[in-house]
Amino acid sequence: MSFDPTDPAWRPRPRPRPGLSRRNFLRSGLWLGAGIGAAPILSACNNAYPTVQSAGYPLARPSNPVTLPIRDSNPPIDAGLDPETGGDFKILNYDAYMAPGIMKDFGARHGVQVQVTPYSNYDEMLAKIRTPGESFDLVFPGPSVLSKMVYAELLQPLNHSYVPNLKNLWPEYQNPWYDRGARYTVPYTIYGTGVMYRADRVTSIPDNGYDLMWDEEYSGKIYLLDDLSEAIGMSLLRNHISKDINTGDPAFVQQATNSIIDLIGRVNVKTDVSAYSEVPEGTATIHQAWSGDPIAGQYYLPKGETPDVLGYWRPKDPADRVIGSDNIAIPKSAGKPVLSHMMINDLLDNDIALRNFGWNGYQPPLNKLSARYLIDQGYIPENLMSAVVLPEDFDLGLTFYEVTPDVEALWRQFWAEFKAGG
Amino acid sequence: MAEREDRHDRATRRLWPALALPGTFWLIALFLVPIYAVMAVAFSGSINIFGEPQPAWNPLDWKYGTFIDVVQDSVTGPYQEVWIRTGTYCLVALVICVLVGFPVAYYTARLAGKRRGLILALILAPWWINYITRMLAWVNLLQDDGYVNKTLGVFGIAPVAWLSGNSYTVVLALAYGYLPFFIIPLFASLDRIDPRLLEASRDLGSGPTHTFLRVTLPLSKMGLITALVITALPMAGDYYTNTIVSGSPNTNMIGNQIELFLLQGPLKHYGASLVLLLSLVLLFFMAYYLILTQRAGRDAQ
Repeated sequence: MSFDPTDPAWRPRPRPRPGLSRRNFLRSGLWLGAGIGAAPILSACNNAYPTVQSAGYPLARPSNPVTLPIRDSNPPIDAGLDPETGGDFKILNYDAYMAPGIMKDFGARHGVQVQVTPYSNYDEMLAKIRTPGESFDLVFPGPSVLSKMVYAELLQPLNHSYVPNLKNLWPEYQNPWYDRGARYTVPYTIYGTGVMYRADRVTSIPDNGYDLMWDEEYSGKIYLLDDLSEAIGMSLLRNHISKDINTGDPAFVQQATNSIIDLIGRVNVKTDVSAYSEVPEGTATIHQAWSGDPIAGQYYLPKGETPDVLGYWRPKDPADRVIGSDNIAIPKSAGKPVLSHMMINDLLDNDIALRNFGWNGYQPPLNKLSARYLIDQGYIPENLMSAVVLPEDFDLGLTFYEVTPDVEALWRQFWAEFKAGG
Repeated sequence: MAEREDRHDRATRRLWPALALPGTFWLIALFLVPIYAVMAVAFSGSINIFGEPQPAWNPLDWKYGTFIDVVQDSVTGPYQEVWIRTGTYCLVALVICVLVGFPVAYYTARLAGKRRGLILALILAPWWINYITRMLAWVNLLQDDGYVNKTLGVFGIAPVAWLSGNSYTVVLALAYGYLPFFIIPLFASLDRIDPRLLEASRDLGSGPTHTFLRVTLPLSKMGLITALVITALPMAGDYYTNTIVSGSPNTNMIGNQIELFLLQGPLKHYGASLVLLLSLVLLFFMAYYLILTQRAGRDAQ
């Protein structure tokens, strides 16, 4: 799997070679900010960057949906093939993101051994999926990494004839903006980002719940998500720096980073992605968290404690909410692509999806599993209602997009400054 | 007769370079090639679709922008503190190693008598268990309600939040982790001191303190420096100790910064530049060590 950026096939039109020095990043970021028109803070809308071509391929936006290319060199599998049997079925996924029971049953039904290779962020996922000679049968990329994976031919197109359960999805997810026609992906889960806390230790919740992260009263027990977009994005919103959480303006990103650097000295902030276990167990009092964390957190409570010690805050206005989704896709390297399709179909089955939700706490965007239904079924206690993601969140909410290499490098350099301790 | 000696000489002349071959190969394959690869990444001038640097194998294509930025950031920018922190942690951990390790090495070499084998085995015992496993075990012991705090409680000492990102936890963990590396070379050097020299010193009227300061210490100086170097080099690049017992940006060492760039995300040229910079810094100390050893060798003659 080699990608040659000089190969004209990859680049619809020539682009200036991105400079690698930090000053250049800053400069190009400034240029971007100026060139793209009025500062994004003015236009908190989704189309701050119309079709940005400097990534070498179109970047998907809700206002600019993309149809990912299907190349002759990488066709979908034929319809009507028999499922493979025997050996390993290898899943590349976040840790604790799919119910073990579902994998076990699937393995037993098809005579395969289902194995999970875990990753804790997309960087790790990309590193593993690109390892030469390595093959995986299923992977879970979100929209922010999808296009580059398709253009680098890491994924294979889906054959919908194996996935009749596609009809169970919310209509907007049968034809999402990041993958028109669901050519490469089906959605796996949707989630929001907010602040998870111990309701028994936190006495009052400020209007701006992000402020909890800055509260010295809980010093030493405050955690950020170990995810640069989520952490810096939260700071952009909390400090009213910008509502464009994909901003390429170095001044904004710098200001947001400085604010979380301030957290190091102020509350000795730490970073990881284990809110679902650390808040229930009491290691963390305040933890920036995805909406699945509080729901799954119910199952990590120490003996004798009830879910009402858990709390979760998200902004009231759906237009202020950070939301995201993860997809299921089949790597090009898959050794059992028919089985991959079958597992995708299983995961879109209402019963199996509900069982999976009951284990990992992350909602699948299926029509039947509405918020009301999940609450009625007893999966979500009333005090964690704020962890439920609604369809209107997706009409109005803020999403992390795939950005140009320059903007990505800019964010990463500031993240490195945060990681350096300021 | 002369002819035979001549042939013998020629054979020896060929033998020694031949014996050096595996070492030379080792050095080229496992040191020069990787260092060149790091340079090719650090000095890369183009990126691929993932935003990662494309290694520039031809030195003519090398671009130094990233490296210069990293040097600037290290001297005056955001990494300055990380370097200072790394240096301080290593220094304090080394002082602890000396304070704890020297008496142990001295006792083992001079006073242990019959129990010496047992003590050496005990010093080496931690090596039977993987380093990371040992650190993870400490994480359990150091929990807020772990055994360490429970033990402190017995003596009426308030519980310490060991794992909430403290420098002292990291420094203690570093000292603990690398202590065997320190003791063993020092022991070897103390063990080689001829006991008759100590007797002579005593016969000439020196007390134990004086003997230690004027005889033992100077004679073990090279061993001490070797032990410090062997301990300091891996310590300076360590990142996993820190990750396990702290995980806070507060205690970030240069190894963590390198790990961040190399293992998380595409900015590998920044990581590679930091690797080069760290190598240069360590090379500086290494050179000083080599000069010292050479001088010591000359003095011995």
